[in-house]
Amino acid sequence: MQGQQQTAGGAWSSAAGMPPAAGGLLGARYAVAADTYDEAFLPGGGLRDRWSDLQGLLSRLPAGEFGRRWHESQRMIYENGLSYTAFGDPQHRPRPWHLDPLPLVIPAEQWQTVTAGLTQRAQLLRLLLADLYGPQMLIRNGVLPADALFLHPGYKRAYHRDASEPAVDYLQFYAADLTRASDGSWWVLDDRTEAPSGAGFVLENRVVTSRMLPEAFRALFVRRLAPFFIAWQERLHELARTHADNPRIVYLSQGPHSPDYFEDAYLARYLGYTLVEGGDLAVRHSRVWLKTLEGLSPVDVILRRPNSDRCDPLELGGSWPCGVTGLLQATRAGNVVAANPLGSGLVESPLFMAFMPRLAQALLGEKLKLPGVATWWCGEKTSLDYVLANLPRLIIKPAYRRRGSDLLSAEKLAALPPAELAARIKAKPQQFVGQEMVHRSTAPEWSSDGAIRPVHVVIRAFAAASGDSFTVLEGGLARTSTAEPAPASGEPPAEKSKDAWIVGREEAEFVSLLAPRDQSIALRRTGADLPSRVADNAFWLGRQIERAEAAARLLRTVALRMSSESSGRTSPALPALWHVLAEQGQIEPGFVVEGIRQRLPKLEQVLPAAVLDPEQQGSLAAVIRQTFRTASQLRDRISLDTWRVIKRMQGQFENSVPTGADWTALLNVSNELIIDLAALGGMVMESMTRAQMYRFLDIGRRLERAVQLASLLRQCFGAADSPPVELYEAVLEIGDSLMTYRARYLANLQLAPVLDLLLTDETNPRSVAFQLAALEGHLDALPRNERRPGLDDDQRLMMSMVHDTRMIDVEHIAEQRSLGEEGGLSPLLERLETDLPALSDALAHRFFAHAGPTVQVASIHFDS
Amino acid sequence: MSADSPPAAARFRIRHTTKYSYTDPAPVCHNALHLMPRTTPWQQCRAYRLAISPEPAEKSWRTDLFDNRVDYFSVHEPHRGMAITAHSEVEVQPRPGLSKDAIVAWDAVAEDLRSGQASREPGVVQFRFPSQQAPIEAQIGAYAAESLQPGRSIVEALRELTQRIHADFRFDPKATNVSTPVHEVFEKRAGVCQDFAHLQISCLRSLGLAARYVSGYLRTLPPPGKPRLIGADASHAWVSAYCGAAGWIDFDPTNDVMPNEGPALDHVTVAYGRDYADVCPIQGVFVGGGQHTMSVEVDVMPLP
Repeated sequence: MQGQQQTAGGAWSSAAGMPPAAGGLLGARYAVAADTYDEAFLPGGGLRDRWSDLQGLLSRLPAGEFGRRWHESQRMIYENGLSYTAFGDPQHRPRPWHLDPLPLVIPAEQWQTVTAGLTQRAQLLRLLLADLYGPQMLIRNGVLPADALFLHPGYKRAYHRDASEPAVDYLQFYAADLTRASDGSWWVLDDRTEAPSGAGFVLENRVVTSRMLPEAFRALFVRRLAPFFIAWQERLHELARTHADNPRIVYLSQGPHSPDYFEDAYLARYLGYTLVEGGDLAVRHSRVWLKTLEGLSPVDVILRRPNSDRCDPLELGGSWPCGVTGLLQATRAGNVVAANPLGSGLVESPLFMAFMPRLAQALLGEKLKLPGVATWWCGEKTSLDYVLANLPRLIIKPAYRRRGSDLLSAEKLAALPPAELAARIKAKPQQFVGQEMVHRSTAPEWSSDGAIRPVHVVIRAFAAASGDSFTVLEGGLARTSTAEPAPASGEPPAEKSKDAWIVGREEAEFVSLLAPRDQSIALRRTGADLPSRVADNAFWLGRQIERAEAAARLLRTVALRMSSESSGRTSPALPALWHVLAEQGQIEPGFVVEGIRQRLPKLEQVLPAAVLDPEQQGSLAAVIRQTFRTASQLRDRISLDTWRVIKRMQGQFENSVPTGADWTALLNVSNELIIDLAALGGMVMESMTRAQMYRFLDIGRRLERAVQLASLLRQCFGAADSPPVELYEAVLEIGDSLMTYRARYLANLQLAPVLDLLLTDETNPRSVAFQLAALEGHLDALPRNERRPGLDDDQRLMMSMVHDTRMIDVEHIAEQRSLGEEGGLSPLLERLETDLPALSDALAHRFFAHAGPTVQVASIHFDS
Repeated sequence: MSADSPPAAARFRIRHTTKYSYTDPAPVCHNALHLMPRTTPWQQCRAYRLAISPEPAEKSWRTDLFDNRVDYFSVHEPHRGMAITAHSEVEVQPRPGLSKDAIVAWDAVAEDLRSGQASREPGVVQFRFPSQQAPIEAQIGAYAAESLQPGRSIVEALRELTQRIHADFRFDPKATNVSTPVHEVFEKRAGVCQDFAHLQISCLRSLGLAARYVSGYLRTLPPPGKPRLIGADASHAWVSAYCGAAGWIDFDPTNDVMPNEGPALDHVTVAYGRDYADVCPIQGVFVGGGQHTMSVEVDVMPLP
């Protein structure tokens, strides 16, 4: 295998050495703008060094092949759910990630400059943080003015470490945005030291581009990403002060509503860490613990994503859901390490860009290897004068970066009339910097018509602490935009991204995060402990899947009867089914009340559109949307195949047009949906290990299925009068038991056998009794408080339901019915409909009890 | 000893009790306290003890960046209320009399803070910058400038400013609450000690001087012939201003005095910060608990 690759690689590269074949993607060039470096094309025409290799490889693809492969890749991007806006936000649908299929080729020799420069810069920022949160010699020696620190809104005394407390290394993970000047030299546009994002997208982009262009990927000897992530993992592992052999490392995210959640879920899974939110963690005895179903489990290292000032309500205020009260004290005690430590974002403010050359001299005794974009801080008189004199040529930014708001204010500043901008700067000069406008380099972007056009690129490069130094990722996230930033404005919003291929001259050593290390792995039958929140989500996903199936089955049965050839005659089963639809929330209750019904638009006309409208509360489409959202919150826990099915279900509703939908459309949608749900159920049954996550998902499913069945049976057969025989058939169809019934009783439809099959037969996976028996089994396997004598609430409810259902005599009920009596069916079903939700509450109380909102108490009004 | 000769020292036993009660049980609470009186060249904290109910699951302490002691504790069992009492014993000596250094002009001090040696001294210069509760405001600066005339001695000018705040502002606990911004205090011309301290700090910072917030206690003298009322004393706040070579000098705008510079030794210093938020006596976060109410009692008892 290895040999074949070598040969293939060799063959490709010798082919690549030949002059580019006519045609091919990069055969036609575009005009490179003056004063701009183009990554691919030389100023005089022709392709740069390794780009001609790429062109050689691409030109060998059959015509249309590139486009065809790209089409395939886009499907993969869609199914993987690559997106970068909030998952759960109903207003903003997740925007898909836009990737340009043409990679950004950077020769390894050139990337070497970046590696050296970024390593130095990261070292420098690390020393800067250590000084500002320590002896503050830079202020004492006059290298930095006091304003740089004390006017900084992100500077909090709580981030300091006392000399008696364990030392902390404030920078573990760093990123910088880079571009190239017209001579091809690299420039740093921005530093990111808080919790840099983008590394997860680099990985995803790489998966897509390497699968799409495997020949080129191999032949160009693209450097691998994995060594960087291994170094990062090793670093996080080393940071653990306790449990050094097997530390628990968690990935603290801001939750599914944050724009970074996709990346958080992806990276957490790739690195093999538990994805947690603030509410999953608790501080006890100066340690951080993960709340799991089994109890509290100690945490050694927190890979931190939220901004520092949201992480500890006790000392930093606020009551953010990502916050962990008491976190700072726990880190000071040395029992837990946050990476990056709280406060690391201080030095990413543009203000420090102005001081970098001086800081490099003061802290390292070196010159900067990688220049930053020229920056003038208006707090210094000479710089202020320069900025005011050159206002139109500069970008004015707030000197201090307030996370989340500075882009906006840079844009606002750009929109001001020059005189007002100057007045604002003069009023508070320390608050502003002026930055040189840098022409970004350009690179070719592929468009679907097969042509290429130039786009501007900024590359985000990443560095992770490693030993005394840093490891720089051999790759990066290139973000592209068609327009240069408008004069004096901040960054233009990136439109697409590119995978940066750092290309070497020989095969890189193959490494994988899954590759066995020097230690053997102890076998285990369960994953790491399950956070309570995940169990909660799994439970609700189970319920929603069943809710969706119940709705789809009911609607299909109704649709069949509405669209069949016999529709001239109303099926006698329909009035009862309308009631069930109303109970499920698919239609307004008014529809089933005689009288009101006359005034409302005809049900037959509005129903198909209504149930396919996700904005209609309780509709089938809304249930699917809810299922999708819950599944999104479990993104790091469910397999890719499972996710694809869920994504496909959601896709059907995104694409269908509710207006004009008719019964045939509804029939098709519900048919498709039932198949997808069956696939989902099969995936869950066949692919999930029988650990706690499966257990809670299945508890949710069983519970909801029992609720839906009980409700269906009560509404169809709850009254003493005998139902039309067509209703038996419809109910069996909804309950997916018609085939079984026919196998047992042929076409003889009667109450007792119907009830037996759907209510009391424990061998029918569609009966109430089957659900209850399964639930009882799950409940027995859940962790219990051993010290507490007697039964828990959930066990009590369970026993009584199982008992009641087993005790019911369906033949007796049928006999009573023939005498015009109710027979005791309704009371049982009503009890189930009360007890099942009570069981749900009892489980939630025992296992999912979330910390409520935190309350700040700091309001003593002095009265002297 | 004649009646008006300054005492050599005064000793106090202090009891500061804070009680919370919640409408619903709170399963967890975490707290940070600034309750231990500082030790300074003219004040020694001889004893300090915390009594907390319910018994905390854990306690720890550290020294913050302003050199104040911060006590941490947390309760991990459901509770409907909490009582925190800090017991301390403090000895206070008179401040050394003002030296000639104190005659330095205020604008020379401001210049030093802007670009001189003091501008490179983090422990001093940090108090020149605006903070959330003691910001820099043009109108407040203008008010202060009436007293801080160019070239005027800093102590003389600050004494006059203290006097003016005392005269111009009405003491009124109903006029403000803990979150009233200082510009509103300035417009209303009313507030409590905390507001006056923030206002005076804003005055000084707005003119480029460094000033810090002092939280502490004040012994209230009993009226002649009446017994001392337990609990009538209260938490107090005043200002400490950087006066160049003379160091930090305190001013109490609520009472128009320079604490412990005169014959009386009434002021006990607990903590220094940029403003109240840095030295808040009790900062707590609890989960659940519903509505809460709070009461505070401070008792500063002179010891023989």
